[in-house]
Amino acid sequence: MTFLIQQTLLYAVPLMIVALAGVFAERSGIINLALEGIMIFGAFVGVFFVNLMQGVSFFSDAYAAKNWLTLQGLELLAMLAAAALGAVFSLLLSFASVNLKADQTIGGTALNLMAPALVLFLIRIIANQNTLGMADGSDAASWFMIKKSTLGIDRKTDLGFLGETFINKVYLATYVCILLFIVLSILLYKTKFGLRLRSCGENPQAADSLGINVYKMRYAGTTISGALAGMGGFVYALTTANCASTGDVAGFGFLALAVMIFGNWKPLNIAGAALLFGLFKCIAASYTSIDINGDGICMLAKAPISAHVYRMLPYLITLIVLAFTSKKSRAPKAEGVPYDKGLR
Amino acid sequence: MNDQSRTLLQRDGTKTILASLISIVIGLAVGSVLVLAVGLSSDNLGLSSAWEGIRLIFLGLFSTGRNEAGALSWGFNPQSIGNMLFRATPLILTGLSVSVAFKTGLFNIGAPGQYLMGTLATLAIALGIPSTALPSPLIWLLAFLGGALAGALWGCIPGLVKAFLNINEVLACIMTNWIAANLVTWFFDATKVFQNTVENTKSSYIYKTAYGKTLVDGAWTYVDGNGVQTAKLGLDKIFPGSQVNAGILIAIVIAIGVYILMTKTTLGYQLKACGANRHAAHYAGINDKRNIVLSMAIAGALSGAGAALYWLAGNTEFFWKTYQSLPTAGFNGIPVALLAANHPIGVIFTGCFMSMLNIVGLQLTNLTAYNEYITDVIISVIVYLSAFSLLIKMLLNARKTNKPAAIVDSGPDSLPEEKAAAEDSAAKGGEQA
Amino acid sequence: MRTMEAENIIEMLHITKEFPGIIANDDITLQLRRGEIHALLGENGAGKSTLMSVLFGLYQPEKGIIKKNGQEVKINDPNDATALGIGMVHQHFKLIEVFTVLDNIILGAETTKMGFLQKKEARAKVEALSERYGLKVDLDARVEDITVGMQQRVEILKMLYRDNEILIFDEPTAVLTPQEIDELMATMKEFAKEGKSILFISHKLNEIMAVSDRVTVLRKGKYIGTVDAKDTDKQSLSNMMVGRPVQLEVTKTPAQPGEAVLEVRDLCVPSRGHKKNAVNHVSFQARAGEILCIAGIDGNGQTELVYGLTGLEKSSGGAVTLCGEDISHASIKHRGQNMSHIPEDRHKHGLVLDFTLEQNLVLQRFNEKQFQTHGFINRGAVREYAQRLIQQYDVRSGQGPVTTARSMSGGNQQKAIIAREVDREKPLIVAVQPTRGLDVGAIEYIHSQLVAERDRGRAVLLVSLELDEVMSLSDRILVMYEGEIVGELDPKQTTVQELGLYMAGAKRMDMTEKESEGA
Repeated sequence: MTFLIQQTLLYAVPLMIVALAGVFAERSGIINLALEGIMIFGAFVGVFFVNLMQGVSFFSDAYAAKNWLTLQGLELLAMLAAAALGAVFSLLLSFASVNLKADQTIGGTALNLMAPALVLFLIRIIANQNTLGMADGSDAASWFMIKKSTLGIDRKTDLGFLGETFINKVYLATYVCILLFIVLSILLYKTKFGLRLRSCGENPQAADSLGINVYKMRYAGTTISGALAGMGGFVYALTTANCASTGDVAGFGFLALAVMIFGNWKPLNIAGAALLFGLFKCIAASYTSIDINGDGICMLAKAPISAHVYRMLPYLITLIVLAFTSKKSRAPKAEGVPYDKGLR
Repeated sequence: MNDQSRTLLQRDGTKTILASLISIVIGLAVGSVLVLAVGLSSDNLGLSSAWEGIRLIFLGLFSTGRNEAGALSWGFNPQSIGNMLFRATPLILTGLSVSVAFKTGLFNIGAPGQYLMGTLATLAIALGIPSTALPSPLIWLLAFLGGALAGALWGCIPGLVKAFLNINEVLACIMTNWIAANLVTWFFDATKVFQNTVENTKSSYIYKTAYGKTLVDGAWTYVDGNGVQTAKLGLDKIFPGSQVNAGILIAIVIAIGVYILMTKTTLGYQLKACGANRHAAHYAGINDKRNIVLSMAIAGALSGAGAALYWLAGNTEFFWKTYQSLPTAGFNGIPVALLAANHPIGVIFTGCFMSMLNIVGLQLTNLTAYNEYITDVIISVIVYLSAFSLLIKMLLNARKTNKPAAIVDSGPDSLPEEKAAAEDSAAKGGEQA
Repeated sequence: MRTMEAENIIEMLHITKEFPGIIANDDITLQLRRGEIHALLGENGAGKSTLMSVLFGLYQPEKGIIKKNGQEVKINDPNDATALGIGMVHQHFKLIEVFTVLDNIILGAETTKMGFLQKKEARAKVEALSERYGLKVDLDARVEDITVGMQQRVEILKMLYRDNEILIFDEPTAVLTPQEIDELMATMKEFAKEGKSILFISHKLNEIMAVSDRVTVLRKGKYIGTVDAKDTDKQSLSNMMVGRPVQLEVTKTPAQPGEAVLEVRDLCVPSRGHKKNAVNHVSFQARAGEILCIAGIDGNGQTELVYGLTGLEKSSGGAVTLCGEDISHASIKHRGQNMSHIPEDRHKHGLVLDFTLEQNLVLQRFNEKQFQTHGFINRGAVREYAQRLIQQYDVRSGQGPVTTARSMSGGNQQKAIIAREVDREKPLIVAVQPTRGLDVGAIEYIHSQLVAERDRGRAVLLVSLELDEVMSLSDRILVMYEGEIVGELDPKQTTVQELGLYMAGAKRMDMTEKESEGA
């Protein structure tokens, strides 16, 4: 059970944060189909950053000395780097959609093609193979995963269900993302900025007539979106993809979009939807080792169901969930429509 | 068409071609800059290697390798050109697939999945029918039609959910892509018989279709040269050493067929009406839902046919553990269609251009320290540019032909075109829901 | 000096605003006195809204200056306008539908503490204003859930919240009932009495005569003149506006109603947004040779009624009989065999804007034998047909049949639709707001076409929001209120005031009785 919850959370948190990325873009009126691409890019940036920093003696010494605070600091820095460059990458989308009034679907698709191409091109040159891991290679997770030993607790101490689930074998990034999710949700609903941002996704003409700069708000929304997606990409790579960048996140960005639609563009619903999707993704990824009732038997692996079915499950469920929610869901009214100041 | 309209069309066509050429040049330039940047910043590459890379990006099709002195050599390379035509075949068809859907207002990003399902059906039929049971041209035909049909059925799924449940087709396509990738792997994993065990140098490949299912000593065995492969029609004599076959001619014929369908028939009229304004089509009694499904089915059939032509070449091998990746031939249908401004005849040329980039990528990997992904970067830049090249053209056109007599008041009449465009896309946006 | 300033609070001097291919405002001068209600009169396309957009900072003029209190000012965006105390109620409300009324009012002028919204003070201020001017609103309701009249009050409160002293009303009465119009007029006079200055844009002469002190008339982007309201009358204003004497009435002979062509029994059509039926148990007949008008305030189910009749929306109950055939569940195409439909929204439904004119003219007929052989379009026949319609209905366009519909003017787009629908020669013509946004010439033409069709024995079902059109064109009026038909009136025997009471739901007939009388 502990394992199931932890694994689900590992998948749900990046989904949640990337879905929120989608919300910020769409609430400002820009359809961000490029979440997938930005995630790929962010994952690369974060991993490459860690890769470089591990060569720096300050950090490698800290690793050797088990100075975990410094290492957690490195993790935060990598998240920041991924967010920053994700934001920069997303400017390509803002520029095309806001300034050039481009078709946002095609623009997003271009970014989705560009990110893996660029990333693989660079990885191949850097690593001479198609995967970029950490310089340390061997045990990537040992750098960042928080375990009992990290906290100076004896390995045999039982922390109870909650402790075992939420303190042992976890990543700081998970909690940072959850905190960020809450803060940004408040930003969206309780502040002047949030009110104005949302107005631009609903009725930019009205916003403009009230002196709100629609272009600026759309840039802001998309940039926040890019930062979150970039960070989400790195967190995904860190916590679920062996801290490696491979130029692929297997449709995770699109799953996040589905989570956003399923969550009806509202943070609270999205958090719920992300948990549900996280569960399916978790089942797909580790059905062989999920021991639900703790009797040491992995039921799902024993069941006469092909591995292929589990792998297909997240995509199939997404399609089905969309089928049931699409008619009721309500997208921001002006999303995808370029706003032209000259035409009112 | 009267003369007036013909000159207009020509002007419009010229503009389209111009915009595409500009996109191509910018794309190649970005690729070159990237090569230059990497070359200069890397200790073991340097300027001369970057210069080689850049020359290959522009002229890779005419590269003949390196001479004894180790310098790049150039010339007419029939093998490269033949291979370009061969690889263009599936790209032309997926390009047509994307463009037909586009004309109906749908973004068919599901071509990879349709391509995979086409692959599955084609290979299963071509390798599943004993070569003694039917004459091989007939098996070929069945496999080809089976591939197209499988693609069509797979394309129907996003079409159906779009038409009846109003699900964004992009998301539906992405999901069906991954489902297809898993299904295909599942199928070949479960059936086992199609897995190539004769040439055990490679793992996880399916037999080439040149292998035919043959009864040898009372057991079904796959024998090379006993199966089906697309006729060469002498093309291999013109381009010796390449994989080219009559598939490219079939692709061209299909492109012409699509052109006729879209411009001369009532079906094409209906499809385009649904694409240009689904509400108006609905109002006029055109069954918009049926047309959306039909359009996706046609698109799927084209992608499936593309897969069929590629795998029926006889000398291509399918890697079946594909559940983690999608075929680029599917995705590259998007730039092929966009670059051709969705014109079926234009797709023939842009398909060839894309496959030329493919050859360039191979040359880069073989001859330099750079790799084929640079061509994917170039392609993505071209797609990015085409996102607004359409718009730039529209603006050019609007300025010429627009009589904005009604711009004055912001009444319902003002800005007929832009406002309506905004409304159209607003409606589209609403359908994302 | 000071006294000079005091008279004109705003002066727009020699304003010229050009758009590609057209001069929307050509050397226009407008002087607004402190505390007056100044009407700006002109047809659709005369340049009224452009001029106001210039004043509000939405457009920058090529030539001319704006002065406030005698000082030249630059208004680059709505923020500048707000800072100068200029507020505007736009013709199409600038409201965020999913926001609450309060959020809409404060948007753009929020009070915050560390970036967080402070709504308490705002609420108090809005409540006070609402009280003082009798502008009743529900601050916590979502805008999409309130009536159009209340939405307009929200727009007015937005201006008052910003302490604007110059108030622009752009065609504010188009969406209101006659009674609501009276209230608005009273509010406007109240504002003027307090010293606020009001610009009132309209093309409705009655309202202008009723409320304004002075009138400035524009025509085709040019300044025609400014007159005192008390020194003029409707006919001369009308002549100034149109540039020629206008016939204010439609000429037609009395109707000769024949058999019922369309019979509607208990029709219900579901609403898109709400659970309620948008059309609730509606029954009526439309007879050959009469123009039956459905009147009502926008949003009372007229659109959905038409959708239900034409098949654009599935009905949830009741029966529709057309020419003796039950078409309640028939496809749009099937209904089209006996029905033409001039749709409400010509861009959404009426035309495929990217198609050529000729392609649009055969939108329903491309499958007919004369236009296709074995699935291939017979271009020659289409061209010939299009040319005939273009000539017969005087549809003007740049390149004839091959003109892209998008590039045609609104009036000619509408003419093309009318040509297509009338030429299909169906016993029933459903025309929804066929003259919306058109100039007088086009309106006259379309009215005469509809009367001609009536005289040829067709049933015309006209849905209109314009009371003048309802009164002058129809032979019989049904009033819709909240999805139901609440009255049947004879235009010759009723008054606009009575019609207004029905439209506002203040009066209703027992329709079941009425029906049995008719039957």
